[in-house]
Amino acid sequence: MYKILAKENLYAFFDALENMGKVYGPVKVGGSTYDFREAGSLDEIDLTYTRTMIPPKKFFVKPKETIFEFDEKMEFKEQPSNGEVNVILGLHPCDINALKILDSIYMDETPDKYYIQRRESSFIIGVSCTPDEYCFCKSMGTSYAQDGFDLFLHKIDKGYLVRIGSEKGYKMINDNKSLFEDAKTEDIEEFKRNERERMEAFKLELNVSGIQDMLDVSYDDPVWKETAEECFGCGTCNLVCPTCRCYDVIDYIGLSLKSGERVRRWDSCMLRRHGLVAGGLNFRPTRVERLRNRFNCKGSLTDGSLNCVGCGRCTVYCPAEISFVEVIKKVRGEL
Amino acid sequence: MVEDNVLAPTPAKVLKSENMTEIEKHIELELLDKEFVKGFVYKPGQFVKVGVMGVGEAPISICAARKKEDILELCVRKVGRVTNAIHRLKVGDTLWIRGPYGNGFPMEEMEGSDLLLVAGGLGIAPLRGVLQYALINREKYGTITVMYGIRCYTSMLWRDEFLKLFYEGDKNNVEFYLSYEDSSDKQCYELQCERSDRCMQGVVTKLFELKEVTPEKTYAVICGPPIMYKFVVQELMKRNFEPKKIYMTLERRMKCGVGKCGHCIIGSGKNIKYVCKDGPVFTYWDALNTKGMI
Repeated sequence: MYKILAKENLYAFFDALENMGKVYGPVKVGGSTYDFREAGSLDEIDLTYTRTMIPPKKFFVKPKETIFEFDEKMEFKEQPSNGEVNVILGLHPCDINALKILDSIYMDETPDKYYIQRRESSFIIGVSCTPDEYCFCKSMGTSYAQDGFDLFLHKIDKGYLVRIGSEKGYKMINDNKSLFEDAKTEDIEEFKRNERERMEAFKLELNVSGIQDMLDVSYDDPVWKETAEECFGCGTCNLVCPTCRCYDVIDYIGLSLKSGERVRRWDSCMLRRHGLVAGGLNFRPTRVERLRNRFNCKGSLTDGSLNCVGCGRCTVYCPAEISFVEVIKKVRGEL
Repeated sequence: MVEDNVLAPTPAKVLKSENMTEIEKHIELELLDKEFVKGFVYKPGQFVKVGVMGVGEAPISICAARKKEDILELCVRKVGRVTNAIHRLKVGDTLWIRGPYGNGFPMEEMEGSDLLLVAGGLGIAPLRGVLQYALINREKYGTITVMYGIRCYTSMLWRDEFLKLFYEGDKNNVEFYLSYEDSSDKQCYELQCERSDRCMQGVVTKLFELKEVTPEKTYAVICGPPIMYKFVVQELMKRNFEPKKIYMTLERRMKCGVGKCGHCIIGSGKNIKYVCKDGPVFTYWDALNTKGMI
């Protein structure tokens, strides 16, 4: 289903979103840094942004959260969901495809209750984008979001062509009929033309054909040691990756020693502790093993999809300026 | 117990907490939530997350076959924060359980075959579950051979139980072999003098000198410190074992037990495995296809 949201209706559209819940969108927070923040008005949001530093996974896999509270009565009490609806406006296709990977992991046969609650109480609105020199989602097959959103806005001259991706999205459109009009042939034509031009705008490419075997056969390749010598082992790549979702669990005791909480927080496979077991044995003892593990994890598949969506964040924010694409090209023997 | 939450632990009362060695305790637990017990069915080789409130959780393998539905047996070596806290618990104290997790050993697949259990140190704990299961279902399995490598006499787990098998197992078609590393250990030396056909000084692979194994009708099951696997596998491959008939169970850091937290991931891009949910039991065939497994 395709609708048109005209420019002049954007403010009313934003108001309608605010009626559904808290609205978050890409807000410029520094020179060229964007972050998904709660927005009080449409003017705070920049829908032409390149990428946020922290991906939208932060809404679903919290950087830090209490999963249980316990007290002297010796019971684990689940932290209740606040039931709040989050409207997240402005996800790019790479981030929507990354969420689908998180869905496969967190909503499998042993589903994570916290993740599901938050996923179900969110309203996801995608927006079309223009690639910069770091984007390689086209190579990863994630440059277009087929599903995984409620509404998707494609920029056209008169406003946006809106794709409806879910029943929730359909209901939103239906409840605000006056804001939308039917898409005409010329709108569809423009949408197609824009998509064509967007595809031609990609500068960075990565050959992923047979990448799983290429990684396997290169397990002892010197590239891992060479890259590890550059790497600071800081874990920034994990924090900014939209599909990295490793977490650690810690129990904290209150000062009264009578109560406490069980907390989970983002972890990083680039840190020494990640493969360490009690007794001191580390299954990934050096940066070489840790770096190789990360690249192999990203190059592997979850339910048939590559675990890297080509958003470019790990390269953009790496303080050692390690390029993900270059490393994989070295693995393939192309550099 | 919080419903529908895989991370919610269930309380268990410590029924027994016995020192087996200076660092290992045998702990018997009673699961208190009888509703939970209904769904709590486990196989040898599976593990549970064992938690101490305020300290944390650790993955511990179940060390006995399932006999009574609300009873769970664990062998805990005090080696980290959580296991030290478990050691401090007294009979009647509560700890917290989640699970069972992991695939466990394929006891049905191995029916009709001989079993060769090779354990090093604490590795005997999950294999004790296999052994007990096979002894309970004795008619389903052929000769059971146990090769147990220990450091010294005092580090031997379940000493009475296993010495009984060492001496009397043959009556029940169980051949129990013992190796010890400490060459100055008098008690082990005495065992060796008594039964030189069953006991040797050295690492556990030395025991292959004492026992002819027949790969055609045998499943090998291995558990021990990480360094041990490739040496035991070498011995088995020399004897032409099929890689798919060599089973082993692995240790890794685990926080969730359900394939989410990412710590136990092993392998390459081609073949990524979660030790917690795809394992912890893998075949040597898996190891050949998964980089960094052993």
